[in-house]
Amino acid sequence: MKLTPEADLEQCRAEIGAIDREIVALLRRRVDLGLKTKSLKQELGLPILDPGREAAVIRGAVESAREANLPDEPVREIFWRVLSLSRAAQQLEEK
Amino acid sequence: MIIVTRANITEKELDHIRERIEGAGLRTHISRGEQRTIIGCIGDESRLQDIPLRTLPGVESVMPVLRPFKRASIDFAAERTVVDVGLGATFGGEAVSIIAGPCSVEGKAMLRETAIAVKNAGASMLRGGAFKPRTSPYSFQGLGAEALQMLSDIRREIGIPVVTEVLDTRHVDLVAEHADMLQVGARNMQNFALLAELGRVQRPVLLKRGLMATITELLMAAEYIMAHGNSQVVVCERGIRTFETSTRNTLDISAIPVIKRESHLPVIVDPSHAGGVADFVLPLALAAVAAGADGLIIEVHPDPESALSDGDQSLTLSAFDNLMDRLDPLAAAVGRTIGAAAPAGDAI
Repeated sequence: MKLTPEADLEQCRAEIGAIDREIVALLRRRVDLGLKTKSLKQELGLPILDPGREAAVIRGAVESAREANLPDEPVREIFWRVLSLSRAAQQLEEK
Repeated sequence: MIIVTRANITEKELDHIRERIEGAGLRTHISRGEQRTIIGCIGDESRLQDIPLRTLPGVESVMPVLRPFKRASIDFAAERTVVDVGLGATFGGEAVSIIAGPCSVEGKAMLRETAIAVKNAGASMLRGGAFKPRTSPYSFQGLGAEALQMLSDIRREIGIPVVTEVLDTRHVDLVAEHADMLQVGARNMQNFALLAELGRVQRPVLLKRGLMATITELLMAAEYIMAHGNSQVVVCERGIRTFETSTRNTLDISAIPVIKRESHLPVIVDPSHAGGVADFVLPLALAAVAAGADGLIIEVHPDPESALSDGDQSLTLSAFDNLMDRLDPLAAAVGRTIGAAAPAGDAI
């Protein structure tokens, strides 16, 4: 049965809401893994902050964005924010 | 430091250059023009010493940026920035956009009357203060959230974008919900917490020059907003404090060509606050457009005598109409047009 435009809109919004919750859950997982890599780096005596690795992560995200037909510059900005989220969590742990 | 790339650079080469710079702990900013692409480097440039930047594929030249502001600097941009506010209002293109309206929103009827009149006269945007930074704590402080709602209602009804001042970091999101452009007043130009907050919202910002601020300080304030993620900044000259007492402030016309030389950001002028007297608004407005201003912000009130703030410098609706008539031929003489808001009925 075809949905009315109103019901269709409602459904789209519900789906967007679900995606947003999923994004937040993924960010949580990403931050947790960042904290784990931090302790592993400490164990291995490696520096915590690795700009080379960050740059590679950004480049990877940008390339995926292009493949997904998304504008790369905004995606690049989003991923710098994602990285800063991990950084902030790592620093918070130190306090 | 900026890196100018060859015209035929590939995405892969560009990605590689940015990865090398970011891998050294700096950040990059890209500006793509028709002729060339510029990569701006932000951060500790001494870390780039070991990278043979000039020999990386796609690089044409590497140049230092001596100005203290980077993102706001003319060096960082391949082309001048055009800030698009929506509903037909742009700053920095061929059109000179006029913002007009009351100093403060005093009620819905007066706001509607003003909005219709200024739009018909050719204004691109409506101004109106909701939160007023008054010198005296006992003066009228603005209607606050109530005024924001009125601005937003009139915006929808008349089809004209609105700009209003945000005074407090706690109000940024609230104001951004109602206005198309957020204004930082002269007294808040170096309120760095507010500037940082405005960097986080995706709304164009109108940044007014502090009455005791140098042009470099103004552009450093713009840099603050840009460094926090918002590159949609329009700067505004509104007069500076000098020894002269016959005007409220001295309009620094020379700020226009200086900012144009130093920065890619659009610059507009506020002749109302500069002169402080309605009679001076027209000549100062003409001078500003002649000197290359990308827009004007003018106080207009249906009944200046009964205005709750800044009545002395407000134009009547007919005086504003006359000003717009006088601006047209002047703009044409300097190769510009006076912009107009999109007709009512466009998607809002």
